[in-house]
Amino acid sequence: MTDGDLDATDPRTLPGFFDALAEGELLGGVCADCGQVLLPPRPACYACGSRAVDVEPQSREGRVFSYTEVRTPPPAFAADAPYTVAVVELADGGRLLGRVAADYADVAIGDAVELAVREPTAAEREVALDYEADWPLHVFEPR
Amino acid sequence: MPEPVIASVGASPLGRTDLPGRDLFSVALAEAFDGLPDPADVVEAVYVGNQSESYEHQIMYGTLLAEWAGLRYVPAERVEGCAAAGALALRHAVKDVRNGEHEAVLACGVEKMTSAGTSGATDALSAAFDRAIEQRSGITAPSQYALLAQRYLHETDATERDLAEIAVKNHANAARNPRAQFPKEIDAETVLESDPIAPPLKLYDCAPVGDGAAAVLVTTAELADDLDRPRVRVAGSGASANNIAVAERDMTDIAGARVAAETAYEEAGIDAADVDIAEVHDAFTVCEALLAEAAGFAPAGTGYQSYRAPAERADGWTDVRLSPSGGLKARGHPIGATGLLQALEAYEQLTGAAGDRAVEGAETALLLNEGGVADAVTVGHVLTTAEAP
Ligand SMILES: [Zn+2]
Repeated sequence: MTDGDLDATDPRTLPGFFDALAEGELLGGVCADCGQVLLPPRPACYACGSRAVDVEPQSREGRVFSYTEVRTPPPAFAADAPYTVAVVELADGGRLLGRVAADYADVAIGDAVELAVREPTAAEREVALDYEADWPLHVFEPR
Repeated sequence: MPEPVIASVGASPLGRTDLPGRDLFSVALAEAFDGLPDPADVVEAVYVGNQSESYEHQIMYGTLLAEWAGLRYVPAERVEGCAAAGALALRHAVKDVRNGEHEAVLACGVEKMTSAGTSGATDALSAAFDRAIEQRSGITAPSQYALLAQRYLHETDATERDLAEIAVKNHANAARNPRAQFPKEIDAETVLESDPIAPPLKLYDCAPVGDGAAAVLVTTAELADDLDRPRVRVAGSGASANNIAVAERDMTDIAGARVAAETAYEEAGIDAADVDIAEVHDAFTVCEALLAEAAGFAPAGTGYQSYRAPAERADGWTDVRLSPSGGLKARGHPIGATGLLQALEAYEQLTGAAGDRAVEGAETALLLNEGGVADAVTVGHVLTTAEAP
């Protein structure tokens, strides 16, 4: 086993992934042995166990795989509710959960969406852990 | 190898109670040891299933509950795996007896979910989801399962009414269970017209928040006989972790649960068709449909027929009866205790102590207890009174 030299600049760590996302780049892990896409990147492939994980930019376009509306939010997000969340299958094969910038009634399985990135709001910083405070948030916008 | 058996069970009242966690445990323990020697004369180790320290600002439940049971200087620990913590505790007890380390181990579970209202429980449960992506997106337990339900309804012939009928069936079972949090019958309209929580799931698709504790005594067969207790063999035990993020899993083939069930079947030397009753993790109605398929009871896409009588289900279904206790939905779901409440139901069913809700002729039970969303972790157990094959 290798990669004992991981540090916070490596996109296979969360700080490294979110630093790239803040610059507008969505990075995925791609297994060199089986092709599985890992979002966010991580040191090992869950599909085959390989640790030969390359980091590659991922398409931000995808389609809604499943979706719902959060009506009873966690206390930290009470002011946002109701809001739509979805699992999106991205064009390069990975799947990612996120909020959708659309009303629930206007979303359907198969809808085309694109991932956008924004800075955390003051309210989101308030409930963030110290090390998360500057991490960006992603949201899927209908195309 | 000694074969582990369940020799006694007990539970506290379930729902909104005026007792803190340790006291709920004392009530469950008193029932389990009614007519037996004191726990200090029997129990050699303790495992406690418990979801969250946020309800009572308390960890160290192993130490605390061992002490409250009158046990000192025994191994005792809390086991964590969200809603699967109870069955993980049972699995540890089973392994300790099977490998000869102990003759009697107490597997217990406790949760005091009502201490901080619905928002407190929502917040505590959200800690079971991936922090970096899922929690920061504002996902909740009902909305996670709604993502599964939406996809299941999209891929199969199931309708929202079918899911409602699963709740109706489980409430009907609970109406005959004196332990149930909601021992009352409901109709499908009540489910379909209840408040939308996370569409397509409505309030009555969701298991309730509630307090509770359960205690299960796992021993050797010889000790159970010495104690003059009816015994049920724990013939198989399997556990399986899958990805933490639901987005990265197959959302309609609950593969981790399939592995846990098949591992338990293999150890027990049975297959799915041999199972008479199953307590599955119906935290939300759609779970019962998905788990009926994962357990091998139903062909893919037909698990939603679990509410129907065996003769009215699709070809390829077994005759299994699901959730005779009323399930998490209506019996109750005090998170860390749930896996042990499933074992309690199976013990009572298989020892002729299930009263009005007895499933006639039941000899073999499957328990499937999940933690996180769906199969983030699944624990499967086969309990049986049949002779070993
Ligand atoms: Zn791989």
